[in-house]
Parts: sequence; structure tokens; C-alpha cells
Amino acid sequence: MKITSSRISQLIFLAIFFVLFINTEYRGKDEISAAVNSFFRANPLVAISYLLSTKTMTLLILPGILMFVFSLLLGRFFCGWICPLGTIIDLFTNRIKKILPLKFLKTTFKYYLLFTLLFAALFNINMAGVLDPIAILVRALTFFFYPLFGHSVKLGWTGLYSLMGDNRDHIDFMYAFLRDYILPFRDTLYPLAFISFLLFALIILLERYEERNWCKNLCPLGTLLGLLSRFSLFRRLPKKLCADCRECKNICPTAFDEDILQKQDCILCMDCTLKCKFNRVKFSSVFKGRRTKEKTPVVLGRRVFLGSLLSGFFLAKSFAFQSPREQERLLRPPGAQKEGEFLKKCVRCGECIKVCLRNALYPDLFKSGFYGMFTPVFIPRLGYCEYNCNLCGQVCPTGAIPNQPIEEKKKSVMGVAVFDKNLCLPYAKKINCIVCEEHCPVPGKAIKFELSEERDYTGKKVTLKRPYIADELCTGCGICENKCPLEGKSAVEVFAKVKKSKHGAQ
Amino acid sequence: MDRRDFLKLGLSSIFFAGLPKIIFAQGTSTLSVSEGKDYAAITRNAINALGGIQKFVKKGDVVVIKPNLGWDRKPEYAATTNPFVLKAIAEECIKAGAKKVKVFDNPCNDPRRCYENSGTNGALKGLKDVELKQMEDERYKNVRINGVALKEWELYDEALSANVFINVPIAKHHSLTRLTLALKNMMGIMGGNRGYIHRNMEDSLSDINKVVKSHLVVIDATRILLNHGPQGGSLNDVKVVNKVIASTDIVAADAYATTLFGLNPQDIAATVTAYKRGLGEMNLSKIKVIKA
Ligand code: SF4
Ligand code: SF4
Repeated sequence: MKITSSRISQLIFLAIFFVLFINTEYRGKDEISAAVNSFFRANPLVAISYLLSTKTMTLLILPGILMFVFSLLLGRFFCGWICPLGTIIDLFTNRIKKILPLKFLKTTFKYYLLFTLLFAALFNINMAGVLDPIAILVRALTFFFYPLFGHSVKLGWTGLYSLMGDNRDHIDFMYAFLRDYILPFRDTLYPLAFISFLLFALIILLERYEERNWCKNLCPLGTLLGLLSRFSLFRRLPKKLCADCRECKNICPTAFDEDILQKQDCILCMDCTLKCKFNRVKFSSVFKGRRTKEKTPVVLGRRVFLGSLLSGFFLAKSFAFQSPREQERLLRPPGAQKEGEFLKKCVRCGECIKVCLRNALYPDLFKSGFYGMFTPVFIPRLGYCEYNCNLCGQVCPTGAIPNQPIEEKKKSVMGVAVFDKNLCLPYAKKINCIVCEEHCPVPGKAIKFELSEERDYTGKKVTLKRPYIADELCTGCGICENKCPLEGKSAVEVFAKVKKSKHGAQ
Repeated sequence: MDRRDFLKLGLSSIFFAGLPKIIFAQGTSTLSVSEGKDYAAITRNAINALGGIQKFVKKGDVVVIKPNLGWDRKPEYAATTNPFVLKAIAEECIKAGAKKVKVFDNPCNDPRRCYENSGTNGALKGLKDVELKQMEDERYKNVRINGVALKEWELYDEALSANVFINVPIAKHHSLTRLTLALKNMMGIMGGNRGYIHRNMEDSLSDINKVVKSHLVVIDATRILLNHGPQGGSLNDVKVVNKVIASTDIVAADAYATTLFGLNPQDIAATVTAYKRGLGEMNLSKIKVIKA
């Protein structure tokens, strides 16, 4: 079997993808290479939905725009040469026996899907990330596979300790290497882990029906690139299956369901050139040779357009309900100021959640309403925001979490802490504690305390140190809530400071 | 070699070293203070004044050095133990023939960042047989303490099994206990919900220090944090003192360090409790101070 250049390229990009993924983690440096989110930055779907929802341009999405232009010129090469999800599908598909293709996917469904997402973006809800292939892959890895991997290795290592005791130290260097360069630093369980895994698994399972099923019939990024590729300057010749051979139908992974080449589905893998027994296939510029009138099938009919306009509108507006109770505790990563603004920019890629040192960020399901799904929320009882860390802003591909210099980040307010005097020990039990004050990282302390001479419940005289919050200094980093030693509910909790605007308004 | 043999050995070697007997008379504690800008040198001087590290560390020993690396702060903020002090101690131990020197703490902030930004990682890198270790969950062992405040607690196995335990805190302010010094530095070998012991800090600290003895205490007072501890974060709260204090008596070391803040040992409840419970001497008049 000959190995095509596209296959080599695929494997290289897959490797790059994994290396970047693993390096989206604190590895002893305050700065993380900006390259870690390249796959999102160079993603035209991310770029377009950002443009539509924010209606502004930013340099951050320039690579995505460039990729857009390249795809206009060259076609859907991204899918055949780069996309890591596509590569993974390719690696699986040969092992899965095929039954008949699913009929209902063979319609204009994918266009509905794409345009619904784009229209929703136009109505200020950027949900493209929910179905973006790179985001799907990163989330499956971040929330499911990577913790699973870390956990199993850790389990083995812990097991060794119970077997070998301190003798384990002789092989410590091996584990140290894994821990420092490959493994997640601490294990976390994520809500939505299962859903993230399921979405990924479904894509693989779809291969039961036909090769690259997801790519051909669903993927919004692929569909977008397909639309662009119709204008590309390359065309494959011959444009039809040759009557005497028809082998292309078996060779081609995507573009030959029918007898005529579907240009929008061709991922330029070049398998057909390589495997054609008669050496007939070539890719040539549209300018060369005789021009034939191309008949492109109508996909962007009025029906698709209006249909997705409607569903986009529904998606954006009718799920707008947010429970006020949840809103009080709807905390976003540092620097994400306005909720509406945040929802327009966030691609739900999971990069910030992956990189968060203290596991303070979790993918949301319902706190911010239906369309907040997979967006990062900050949950202080589970993890706090490390004062000297601004990694989440560094890895966010769209600036939904701004990349603030560390001095600025230290001052950016996520919420404000509030004491519950019914729980807090010096108030409720007349016992000294102030663990919270000890941990408050703000120079000069945002948690202060007053002294109060009292008799405790046994009648003994005590000087109580009773904490209170200096609101003007508190940034809502959550370390007090996180470290409060009360079992269960913390006596100090961070609440969203500004009343979050209803989505859309800002 | 278990602890008791070790102590005997230590004592007899002091004896043969021919140092004045009076220092070791009953009820007298010795401590050394050394001052200067070369932090490695003053650390060595302070230890040498007690008879040198070989008094504590024998050939083949596993030594644990327990600094205070609790916070993600740069050294100049006086929230973490000075890396030069640590490095000097580690080097001395190796010179004395230690098989392995383990350095670790259970920080409050992200442990990787604390190790890195406190300068410890950089300072200890490349030293042979010296390891800066991340503490691991499975190594905590439930230990019966039978103390006044704590019945049992999870303590770190490597700290318990070491031949020599060297306690190297930094002297700084703390709102609850007023100061955090060597007695409190032992919180770093505790697992579980450590905030819990804030409810009865003094007795808890004595309980722990009764179970795990510090063979040598070296207090880093090169710069001390006067306010807003234990994290600080502002250079306005830092005072440069350029001192290192060493002693085998943990209470004496703490008592002396207290004076650097203009306070009396009696002001620190943890010191008083430890003294009352027989962990060491807190009366400055009864402590022999060697200026090294
Ligand atoms: S169609 Fe989507 S998933 Fe498939 S290769 Fe293209 S971008 Fe990747
Ligand atoms: S840590 Fe918790 S219980 Fe203790 S003083 Fe602070 S809020 Fe109260």
C-alpha cells in the first residue's frame, strides 16, 4: 500500500495537536506558548461565528480568516490534510464494517445545521463551538480521556507504593518524567465528561454507516469549507466515474456517493490519483484546458435559508431563560466582564478549563441557561483562582477571556465574597479561625477582622477575631471559599458582583 | 538507626567534641544567631556554632528538610524560606555523608508554582542526592497522636521515616497566632483539612511537635514579614534582618525569633503552650545564645 502525502501530513498534524494539547498546562513557566490554541485560531468556523456575533474584528481570528481564503483558493484541504478529528476517524473507519448509509443524512441537513449556528451567532449566541470538530475533540480529551489516563497511571503508581513502599523511589524518575511532561497535574472529575465523550463516540459510531459520515453529512466546519471549495481554483478530472472502471467510488472517502464528483465534499486526499490503475486522474487549475459549465447542485435554496433563520432565532432567543438563583453564583473566569459579551466570544473549546491550575473552572450545563452549555464557570468551593496566574487568558483563542498582563489580572474582579454569619465560626460558635484571612492573597488583605471581647458558650473570656470583607479590595478569587475549613458549605462565598445582564443586551 | 540512638550518638559526640559542659547542663538550651549578607555563609556559621552538621547527620542518613514554601511568592516578599539558606543546609548534609536529602512542603497555593517562584527549584537544581519533592496523597499515614487537641491525624510518611528532620521556617507574621515560626511550620507535614486545627491552634501544634521532633531548627530571618502574613505580597511589610537562627530546641528558637518582631515569647500562645508542655525552653534568660 502506498502512503499518500496527505496521510503523512495528517499524522504530523495529529501529533502536533496532541503535543499542543498536553502543553496546555502549567509546566513551570508563567507564560504558555501562544501556539497551544493554533487549531482554534486557524479555524474558519470559529472566525466566522465570532465575526457574526460580535460584529467586530480582532487580530486573534486572523489565521482563521486566512484559512478561509486558502480554502477558497485550494478547496477543502483542511479536512484531508489537517483536521485531527478527521484523522482519527480515518484511523478507525477501516476497522468498522459498513452497513447502508443513513438516508436522512443525505439531505440538506448539514446546511440547516451550519446556517442555524451562523444565524444564532448573528443573534448574539455563538454556539458554533458546540459542534465544532476541534472543540468536540478537545473537550472529549479534556473532560474524559485525559483525566481517565491520568487517573489510571496514578492508580498504578499508588498501587506500587502499597506493594513496594519506599522502594518505589528507585523508579521515581520514570514517574517524575510522566508527571512533569505528560500527565495532568491533579485528577479532576468534570461534569459533562460523559456527554463530551458521547459526542465523540457517536462520531466514531457513525462510521458504521459510511466512511467519513460525520465529515460528509454533519460537520459544520466541513460544510463551511465545502461551500468555499466550490469556488476553488482546482478541479479534479475526470469529473465523473469512468464507465469502464468506477473504482473511485470505492477509493474516495467522501466525494463519490454519486457518479459525479461532489466538489464540496472532496477533501483533496489525492487517494484517487495514486490508486487509479489507468493514471487518468489529475488535479488541475480551472483556468487550464477547456472550460466546461459546471452544474452545482442547489443547496442554498430559499428553504434552507429561511429554515435556519428561524431555528437560529429560536436557538438564540427562546432558550434565554436563566434562573436568577443560578445567576447569583454565575462566575466567569477573570477578565470576562459582561456576560453577554462573553457568550458572543466564547467558543467552548475547553482550553481554559484544561489549563486552570487549581481546577476552578468547569464546563457549564445550566447555570447560564441552555446556551451556556460547555462555557467555563468558576466554582470556588472546588478550586480557586490563583493570584499570580493568568494562563486562561493566555490560551483563550478568541479573547473571550482577555489576555491580561498579570498585574492587571490580579485586579480583575470576578465577584465579591460574602460571609454567612450563621456558619462562620467566630460569629456562630465563638471560636477563632480566620483561615480565610490567612489565605487572602491581596496585599493588605481584602478580608480583615475586628477584635471582639466576649464570653464563649462555656463562660470563658475570649478575644474573637471576626472577619469581614473589604469590598473595594475583594476580587472574588475564591480562595477564602475554597479553604474555609467548614465541612460542606463554606461560611464565605463568592457572588457575582454586577447583576449580569440578560443575555444579548449587555 | 532509630531516633533514640541518634540522639544518644549526637549527645556523646557533643561531649567528646569537648565543648563547655555548662551549655548542656539541665534546663539550658543553646541557640546560635548569625548575621550577615551572605545567606549561605551565615547559615553555615549558625550550624557550625552548634557543633556542625555532622553532629546531626551521619553517613548514610536520609535527611528531610522541611522549609516553609506555602505561598506562590518571590523570595523578596518574605513569605517563603530563603533558597540560599536551604541550599546551604542541603549541601552541608550531603557533605556530612547523607545518603539522600528530601525537601518538601505541602503548600497552600499551587505546589508547582510555590516551588518555582520561591526560588527553591532553581536553588536545589543539580545538587546530587538532593530532591525537591511533590508530596503525594498516598504517603500520608494515619498516626495516633493522643494529644490534647488531636487524637489522630494524617502525617507524611517520609517525614516520619527520615533519620534526621530539619525544620527550616521563615519568621513571619500571622493574624491568628501572631507569628508563624518553627512550631507552626510542622503543619506542612499534615494532610487532611488542616484549617481545622485553627480552632485550637496552640494545643494542636504542641501535639504534632510531640510526635515528630525536629532534630535541628534553622529559622530563616534573613528578611521577615511584619504584617499581612502569612502571605504578605507587599514589600512594605518586609524588613531585612539578615539573620539566621539555629537550635536543637524548637521552643527556644521560636522564642528568640519572636524578639526580632519586638515581641516577647509570652506574647505567642503557641510558644507558651509548647513550653508548658515540656517541648523546650522559652525563658530568654535561660537560653544560651551564641553569636556566630
Ligand atoms: S469534515 Fe469536519 S471533522 Fe471532517 S475532516 Fe473536515 S473539519 Fe474535520
Ligand atoms: S475560614 Fe470559614 S469559618 Fe473560618 S473564619 Fe473564615 S469564613 Fe469563618
